[in-house]
Amino acid sequence: MEQSTIETDPNEKTSYDLYLQEIEGIDDYWGPTFRTIFDNHEHLDFKRKLEERIKHHDKDIERLCNVYYQGFIESVTELLEVRSQSKNLNKQVVSVDKQLQKSFQSLSKSGSELLQSRKVQSNIAVVIAQMNLCLPVFVSYSKLQKQISEKRYYPALKTLEELEHIHLPHVANYRFSNQLRQKIPKYRDKIEAASMMDLKDFLENIRKFSPKIGEVAMRHTSEQLASDPTVVGRKKKRNFLNSEPRSNYSEEDLSAQELIDFSPIYRGMHIAEVLGKVTTFEVYYRSERTKQARLVLQPPTNMHESEESYRNYIYAVLGFFILEDHVLNTGRGLITKVFLEEMWSVALSKITTALQTHSAYCTDATLVLKIKDLIMLFCTTLRNYGYSVKPLWELVRELRDHYTEVLMQRWVQVFREILSKEDFQPIVVHGEDEYEQILQSFPWDVDLPDDIQFPYSFPFSSMVPKVYQQVKEFIYACLKFSEDLNLSQVEVDEMIRKSMNLLLTRTFSGCLSSSFRSPHINLQKITQIIIDTGYLEDANIYLDQFISNVTGEETRNITSEHAMFRVAREDAVRQICEKLKQKLNEFLELESYDWNLVEPKGHASSFISDIIAFLQTTFHSFTDLPPEVAQVACRAACDHIANSMFTILLSEDIKQISMGALNQLNLDLLQCELFAASEPVKGLQQDELLKYFVKLREILDLLISWDWPTYFHDYAQDNSRYKNVRPEIAIILLEKLKEGDKKNIFTVLNKNERDKKKLLETVLKQLKQLSAK
Amino acid sequence: MAKTYDYLFKLLLIGDSGVGKTCVLFRFSEDAFNTTFISTIGIDFKIRTIDLEGKKIKLQIWDTAGQERFRTITTAYYRGAMGIMLVYDITNEKSFENIKNWIRNIEENASADVEKMLLGNKCELEEKRQVSKERGEYLAIEYGIKFIETSAKASIRVEEAFFTLAKDIKAKMEKKLEASNPPKGGHQIRATDPQKKPTSWLSRCTLL
Repeated sequence: MEQSTIETDPNEKTSYDLYLQEIEGIDDYWGPTFRTIFDNHEHLDFKRKLEERIKHHDKDIERLCNVYYQGFIESVTELLEVRSQSKNLNKQVVSVDKQLQKSFQSLSKSGSELLQSRKVQSNIAVVIAQMNLCLPVFVSYSKLQKQISEKRYYPALKTLEELEHIHLPHVANYRFSNQLRQKIPKYRDKIEAASMMDLKDFLENIRKFSPKIGEVAMRHTSEQLASDPTVVGRKKKRNFLNSEPRSNYSEEDLSAQELIDFSPIYRGMHIAEVLGKVTTFEVYYRSERTKQARLVLQPPTNMHESEESYRNYIYAVLGFFILEDHVLNTGRGLITKVFLEEMWSVALSKITTALQTHSAYCTDATLVLKIKDLIMLFCTTLRNYGYSVKPLWELVRELRDHYTEVLMQRWVQVFREILSKEDFQPIVVHGEDEYEQILQSFPWDVDLPDDIQFPYSFPFSSMVPKVYQQVKEFIYACLKFSEDLNLSQVEVDEMIRKSMNLLLTRTFSGCLSSSFRSPHINLQKITQIIIDTGYLEDANIYLDQFISNVTGEETRNITSEHAMFRVAREDAVRQICEKLKQKLNEFLELESYDWNLVEPKGHASSFISDIIAFLQTTFHSFTDLPPEVAQVACRAACDHIANSMFTILLSEDIKQISMGALNQLNLDLLQCELFAASEPVKGLQQDELLKYFVKLREILDLLISWDWPTYFHDYAQDNSRYKNVRPEIAIILLEKLKEGDKKNIFTVLNKNERDKKKLLETVLKQLKQLSAK
Repeated sequence: MAKTYDYLFKLLLIGDSGVGKTCVLFRFSEDAFNTTFISTIGIDFKIRTIDLEGKKIKLQIWDTAGQERFRTITTAYYRGAMGIMLVYDITNEKSFENIKNWIRNIEENASADVEKMLLGNKCELEEKRQVSKERGEYLAIEYGIKFIETSAKASIRVEEAFFTLAKDIKAKMEKKLEASNPPKGGHQIRATDPQKKPTSWLSRCTLL
């Protein structure tokens, strides 16, 4: 439009054009222009000008519109076209968008998934890294667990250490690591406890096993001994005994140490070392073993009952010390030599005491022998292990004494048996065979006639050969103990002789003496016993030779002295006297004096006659009673009768005695004196037996003859007729006579009687004076 | 001394060796039995006191040796005996046959009024019996004496035998005492007193 104005009015440039220009130039700020127009009052002109301008412009516009109209149409058409196209496009875009939208949806999904995965992946990587750090901890921890559960404590301990120092520091920030760290001391304790437990188990185990070890060791020793040619006097028996079970127990030929697994000890030691508790361990081990030793050394209370228990005891002790020896040698100072020696010396004294005490109870000789063998083997085995066994040898010696003692006791039974079955009759043989048999079993040193008449009667009873044989048996039994004892011949010989002497003088004599005390023994038996002892004493020479043959020592040339059974014989004699006295007492019980007898019967009382007859037959019958025995018996009988009669006379029960009764007693005494003078037994001195009756004789003579003047005159003189009459006795009897006389005093009181009474009183007075001295 | 008995009877056991005299005596005096045979040497005796009809009677029983070699010794005791047990063994014919000899012995040596009795011992050995009871009874009747079969081993009728003999002796003695001198009232009857013993050593005594 400006162009048009310019074009229209390029020469007309007047004030109005300016104004128009201004109006056209400025859209808004038209006020001042208008004001100026109005001010110049040109408005009308202007208006017209303006009109013109407008008309000009309209014409421009019209021409312009004509110019651009076709284009416009075309543009509109084109636009319309564009619109449909754009619509189309829009449609396409929408579909594409939709498509895109759709396809992107899955994509975005996978995208987010991918993101997730990426995150996980990175997390995993982190975890793996951490895990790698922790893994060794767990590995070693599980190793630890496993080792502990497998009881491999030492590796466990090592693992623990590793765990603590290497692995755990890397994972310190984890809670489990803390926990582990806290657990470590506990594990240590646990391991320590476990190793102690192991040790305890081991200790228990060896306690169980040590008898076995002892047994095996003993067997080894015995085999060794058996095969050792340097050991003399070995018995085949032992070889035999040991070779047999050998095949059955071949697995037991292992040495003692191989039987036991010592590893717990070594392990324990290592562990203790690691834990720094070696001392505790040592102390514990030693104290436990000391305790065990105490237990082992405690013999079972009934040990004396069987060989088995002795065996077990010895095995246990031996096993214990073999183990200890092994521990000493391999245990790296777990126990010291001093410790072991100390323990052994205590043990030794205990063993000795135990064996001593228990063997003392033992009353079975075979068992004692077995115990001895056991102890011997025990000693040898111990010595092989270097233990000193001297007290045990002493013990064996003691045991020997005990053995002899036991044998004696056994032979007491044997002798008793023999004696109880013995009839104490001389042996009577009916044929050559029997005769020879007796002579073979008993050496009878006598010249026997060639032509023996059967039945032949030996002077001794069957007890003699039996006892002789038994003494031989005893000697053999004694010898058994000396076997393997490595004693010198002299010692053995000495021992056997001593034992045999004891056996005969003590044991057998004792048996004899006790058989005398049997109520059923009679004089005849005792007599035979006395005879038998003589023959046994004679046989002593042969026993002496027998011992020499057995021991190889020279004979002692013992002369057969009759001293061996002196005690028994004395006992026998005493017994004979005793029996005789018993019989006599039975007679004396039948005594029935009438103390008021006026006149004697003119012959002896029947009991006295019976006594005398009995004694006569008895001494007559026992022709084979040794004379000295018969003499002793006879003396004893006379003494007893005399004393008994005297006692009867003085008895307090008898208050009165008549002269008649005294005369009767005198008659009886006469009978006795006759017997005494008749030499009832050979070899007695003349009047020897009469002596026993002298006391009674004198008092009776005095009283019957009333010879008081002589009595008083000769009193206390050696040649007095009444020197054995004591005044006190005379007083007693006079009183009795006085009492007995009373009746007569009342009846006849004549002068004669008065004198008599006066005399009596005087005599009594005199006697009392004498007795008062 | 106070008397512990009223009467004293002396009895005698005779018979062959081995018939069981000692065993019978042993059974009666100690109520025991000993199987081992030990022949008696010479003579032995046992004492037992029994109660009989209110009286205490002391029996002194002499056990003699049956063997011939002791015959001289044993016959010396016949005289003093008031009762004699003749013992034989029912399992031993010979011992029974010998009873006649023993009775002859009694007649020769013992006092005429001695009380006798026949004992067949070992009656527990029925299966070994050789002498029937009837023969024993017959013999007893023949001699007018009592007869009992006993067993010392099984303790059969041993007591009975001794009591019977003791009773007979007592009856005989009391009868005799009454006949000779009527009872004085005292019970001190000396059964042995009337027995005279004219043995050699006693004869000297009577002279004094």
